[in-house]
Amino acid sequence: MSCDLVIVGVGGQGVLTIAELLMEAALAGGLPASLVPTKGMAQRGGFVKAELRLGAEGIGPRIADGGADLVIAMERSEGLKGVRFARRDGTFLLYDHVWTPLDVMLGRAAYPERAVVETAVHAMGGRCVVLEPGDRPAVGDRRVAANIFVLGAASGIDAVAERIDPDLIEARIGERWRTAQDANLLAFRAGRAAVGVR
Amino acid sequence: MKRIVTGNEAVAYGALRSGVAVATGYPGTPSTGCLTALLASAPPGRHIEWSTNEKVAFEIASGAAWAGRRALVAMKMSGLNVAYDAVISIAYSGTNGGLVLYVADDPGVSAGMAEQDSRGFALMSDLPILEPDTPESAYQLVQMAFDLSEAVRTPVMLRLTTAVALGSAIVAVEDPTAPRSDPPILEREIARYTKAGSAICRAQHSDLIDRLERAADWIHDRALHRLSLVPEAGGLGVVAVGAACACLGEALAAIGCSPSDISVLRAVATSPFPAAEVRALLDRVGALLVLEELEPHLERGVWIEARRSGFDGPIVGKLDGTLPRTGEYGVAEIVRGLAACGVDRTDGVRIDDRAGPVSEAERHSAPRTITVCAGCPHRGTYMAIEAAIAVAGFAPDEVMVTGDIGCTILGMNPPFDLLWNEVSMGSSISIAQGYVHAGVRTPVIATIGDSTFFHGGLPGVLNAIHRKVPLTVIVMDNGWTSMTGMQVNLGTDEAFQEGGRRIDLAAILPALGADGYVEVDPFDLPGATSAIADCLKAGDVRLVLARRECAIQAARRGEVAGRIRFDPGRCVICRRCLTVTGCPALGLADGAISIDSRQCTGCGLCARVCPTGALRREDVG
Repeated sequence: MSCDLVIVGVGGQGVLTIAELLMEAALAGGLPASLVPTKGMAQRGGFVKAELRLGAEGIGPRIADGGADLVIAMERSEGLKGVRFARRDGTFLLYDHVWTPLDVMLGRAAYPERAVVETAVHAMGGRCVVLEPGDRPAVGDRRVAANIFVLGAASGIDAVAERIDPDLIEARIGERWRTAQDANLLAFRAGRAAVGVR
Repeated sequence: MKRIVTGNEAVAYGALRSGVAVATGYPGTPSTGCLTALLASAPPGRHIEWSTNEKVAFEIASGAAWAGRRALVAMKMSGLNVAYDAVISIAYSGTNGGLVLYVADDPGVSAGMAEQDSRGFALMSDLPILEPDTPESAYQLVQMAFDLSEAVRTPVMLRLTTAVALGSAIVAVEDPTAPRSDPPILEREIARYTKAGSAICRAQHSDLIDRLERAADWIHDRALHRLSLVPEAGGLGVVAVGAACACLGEALAAIGCSPSDISVLRAVATSPFPAAEVRALLDRVGALLVLEELEPHLERGVWIEARRSGFDGPIVGKLDGTLPRTGEYGVAEIVRGLAACGVDRTDGVRIDDRAGPVSEAERHSAPRTITVCAGCPHRGTYMAIEAAIAVAGFAPDEVMVTGDIGCTILGMNPPFDLLWNEVSMGSSISIAQGYVHAGVRTPVIATIGDSTFFHGGLPGVLNAIHRKVPLTVIVMDNGWTSMTGMQVNLGTDEAFQEGGRRIDLAAILPALGADGYVEVDPFDLPGATSAIADCLKAGDVRLVLARRECAIQAARRGEVAGRIRFDPGRCVICRRCLTVTGCPALGLADGAISIDSRQCTGCGLCARVCPTGALRREDVG
């Protein structure tokens, strides 16, 4: 049985990087996998989604509504577009970042409270795990990359933890960011600690 | 070696494995990644290029194939519409070297444009079309396409859909094969290579029909269509083609149905129609479900075959109204089709259709309108057009501004709300002429990007100048084909051409003979505004070149336009910077304007509209 992940967020947050690193770790671990990104037409600043199926072989790459073992939301409001994928007994990992759209800044539209997401996830029968942007460790005067922090947390959730060795993800991080390796590994491990694994 | 590859990359690597010598294309989502992968990874000794447009690309590939080389041409479905004049002619002539036309369709419309089914073109021109359902099968089938093309001497189409083209999987990729090195074929045979006369064309038509029949035999002999029949007669059969094939097993598992209970034909092609396989299936089953995204092309063939064979069981698909002619097919659609065949869902299924088209949760998400990037020169051009309309004495809803394909179409969105329409590559200029001829007496403006202008804008602008149609054509030149991911085009700076010669719009446009030509800097808002306003007041044919490099490309080289200084003491929170520019680098948090230093490129457009001087642009370096 494959483990299905949907990751949603805003272009520029590194949503696709999370998916690519998991895909690379799957390759390194000999696990079949598929990934479909949905980017729309903006270079950045629009809704982005990645559908990742780990252990998938001979099946299509799309994940049905209510079919994701783990939904990762990198932004609160866009996270609501990930709720439809939440499985009845699955996990919804909300990185509770607020990226305010222009219409909200100008008072033309409302921005949802966090409870709206939690209520929606519970209504789907899922479990909501919230990560606070402020819980990221800092290197110098900057906090570490949000997406790698979230990836660390995701790697500790059962659906992923049962299939992908975190050391393989760490190895990919080391290869991808040779100069910024330390900060990214710090981010990854902090994310793991945030969900209670080492 | 096992690698992570997208469907697009699989087509590229499969073509290299097949010894492709020439590969051409024009960027367009979801097909772009194929030629991008070839440009990045092909060993020397192959010619690979982004061409001016898809018709040019197809003709280059065809010439190479007529000369005996293996050639690949890649495009999105809209590009096939452009290339098709040449495609059908070359289909009639046939080919020598393997000629593969890769087209990516976009069911569900993830990227804009018509939700067309390009298989219709294959049916109209009697071309074989192979339809992979995964990156792995794309890698295999592009190689089959080259072999089939040479065996039957026909161009072969290869069609991927969005999820297959953009999706990635782990695929074993082999090393490239060197292209042929024997002398190219130089053959003068009018009956094959021209359409000069009725006898030639009719003979070619007969040959074309013969080639498709031989292609059917070639595919049948190699058992490329995968047929599995259950021993007992009278059960359910399923025919699937393309992406739907990959979802079938999961759908059966979801309803607790064993694949061994059902006869299945997984077809690799709609054209030529898999007649022998469908006949075998019809002879075995009592009911048939047809699964294909978009148009019922395969299903119509099934109905014809059913009539011929005397099959009188139900045929479930689109024609009976069960399944849609729009969107992608996933597990949910297939389960619906199976239910219509009497195979019902069981308990514990992983299908969940509570969400509906827009879930209750999504209704609470905040609208997030897409606009141009921070630092985008098009922002300045749109602001200048808005201001120029006012300076020339018109209201925004009096001035028709036609739009075109690419990043420039973002002018349709807030805060600009400027563009009225978008049709096809280059259409902004021709549609504008129609409005003038219809009697519109207020100014008409056409806006078009640089790559789009080269692709399809030139015939329209020549027509406007020739016919003396009063309008203002604004070519928004940012030097790159940006929307599809920063491809080099004819006008890209010489430094990035990698051997190509730059075609300079600043040399071409003034030479066309319009009544006026002016080049403006989009970041010089007063200068651009007055130049465009002059054009609107002139009442004749005017060309404007609004030129500045794409901000993303400039930023990648570490170039910034300036630096913005913000003085909160002067800010009166009038929000003009936000409402006029819509720049994503600007924010309003806790009642104060903020600037995202990671996004801001210092273009200074916000400072241009700040009434108090709270925002100021400084030069850097």
